[in-house]
Amino acid sequence: MGLDWARNSPDITVMAATPVYIICSPRPLVGKTLIARLLSEFLLFKNGAVAAFDINLKEPSLLDYLPDITETAEVDDTFGKMALMDRLIINDGIAKVIDLGFHAFDEFFKMSDEIGFMKEAARRGVSPAILFIADSDRLSARFYPILQRQIPPTALVTVDNEYVLRGELPSAFASGKVLHIAALPVFLKTYIDRLTFSFTEYLRSEKDSSSELHQWIRKNYFSFRELELNLILQGS
Amino acid sequence: MAKPVVIVVGADKGGVGKTTVSRTLLDYFSANNVPTRAFDTEFPRGTLKRFHPDHTEIVDITATSDQMKIFDTLNSVGPSVTVIDVRAGLLSPSLVALRDIGFLDAAKSGQITFAVFHILGPSIASLDEIAETANFMIGAKYFLVKNFINNTSFFEWDQATYNSYFHRIKDATEITIPKLNEMAYEQVEVASVPFLKFVANKGQSDEAANYSFVLRGYVRHWLANIWSEFDRIKLTDLVGSGKSGTRGGEK
Repeated sequence: MGLDWARNSPDITVMAATPVYIICSPRPLVGKTLIARLLSEFLLFKNGAVAAFDINLKEPSLLDYLPDITETAEVDDTFGKMALMDRLIINDGIAKVIDLGFHAFDEFFKMSDEIGFMKEAARRGVSPAILFIADSDRLSARFYPILQRQIPPTALVTVDNEYVLRGELPSAFASGKVLHIAALPVFLKTYIDRLTFSFTEYLRSEKDSSSELHQWIRKNYFSFRELELNLILQGS
Repeated sequence: MAKPVVIVVGADKGGVGKTTVSRTLLDYFSANNVPTRAFDTEFPRGTLKRFHPDHTEIVDITATSDQMKIFDTLNSVGPSVTVIDVRAGLLSPSLVALRDIGFLDAAKSGQITFAVFHILGPSIASLDEIAETANFMIGAKYFLVKNFINNTSFFEWDQATYNSYFHRIKDATEITIPKLNEMAYEQVEVASVPFLKFVANKGQSDEAANYSFVLRGYVRHWLANIWSEFDRIKLTDLVGSGKSGTRGGEK
């Protein structure tokens, strides 16, 4: 009924690829967990299932917000890598979301390059999307070209989080796909940062669909739906 | 008719990865469609045979009957390459035996292609073997294989020591074997399959297996690095194959 705009997707029954979203930045506090939360809630709402992995325990953590669908993961040792990657590579129809902490950024992509994750994913009908949160610092500028060499352009998405990048998106990040996340006023940011806050619950319960937060969530859910469709079509 | 090729893989020191390198060679030739047979001198229980049972025979290289089995059949058997995995402590005695039976002379005169992969561990004891082995290498291709079995170095930090070993033998070629992730190595050990089959997620009889994707990725990456070293030294040219392009294992 009221939320059908977000749930309905054309011809989803033909989908063969399982999307895997990796939300990352080499910088702390750029909004990775916020985007992981939004995306996880969207996928849970739309598909009824999502598997989220938190490799972000040194920052505000996805596990604290969505404990029912999130498990912790690590890439510090081979056991951790196996536990995570052997799950991600399975085409089981359940979308995966990884909240990749800045401390694990380097090791994760080094490992995924070494074990040939992108190639194997393509072979198995898994569609990874790397959501790189752009920032104007030197670290982001250094790591982005490394990702560009490793990740096919169709799988690399720059997240322009207005809350982090106050001005224009630097041109170095603007060549591929861009996902824009608008900034919220501080009081709303504080409101959604509460551990008990749920985006989907808010959409369901808030009657005033013209409110700023309602519009913000709707817009982001629409962007995610478009992104998911692209991934499914690429992978199928 | 192509000359028979004999590749000896050995070291006098133990635990430096001789069988591991032999396994990578067998995988490399298999992927390049070069017919190969192997002899495992870890008598009576061979490790190489456990991984490549179809192509490997266990022999006692110090016994005359087994020496005949290897060298008297070089021209008569089908496979063009013979890989001999010489167990620890037997490299020098084996080379003495090869000299005594006239094999080294045959190599010198070009009747046989002879190559030695001398596996070196990062220790002075291991490096001291180089000078001793080099005396037998006239007419042979001599490869000094630096096996990074752990995170140590081969005295590159001490240039004088390094040069005294690695630059003393004029015609020796260096090969580097990178370190393989420990868990990946152990998993292949447990599976008892060639590295290639592990990468392809197959069991000993080509049945589907369920190895970790991560560990398979590490093995694939490691094997590709070693094979690029073999490509660099033009190993297939050495055996008269000279094939290039897509290999079976890269598909």
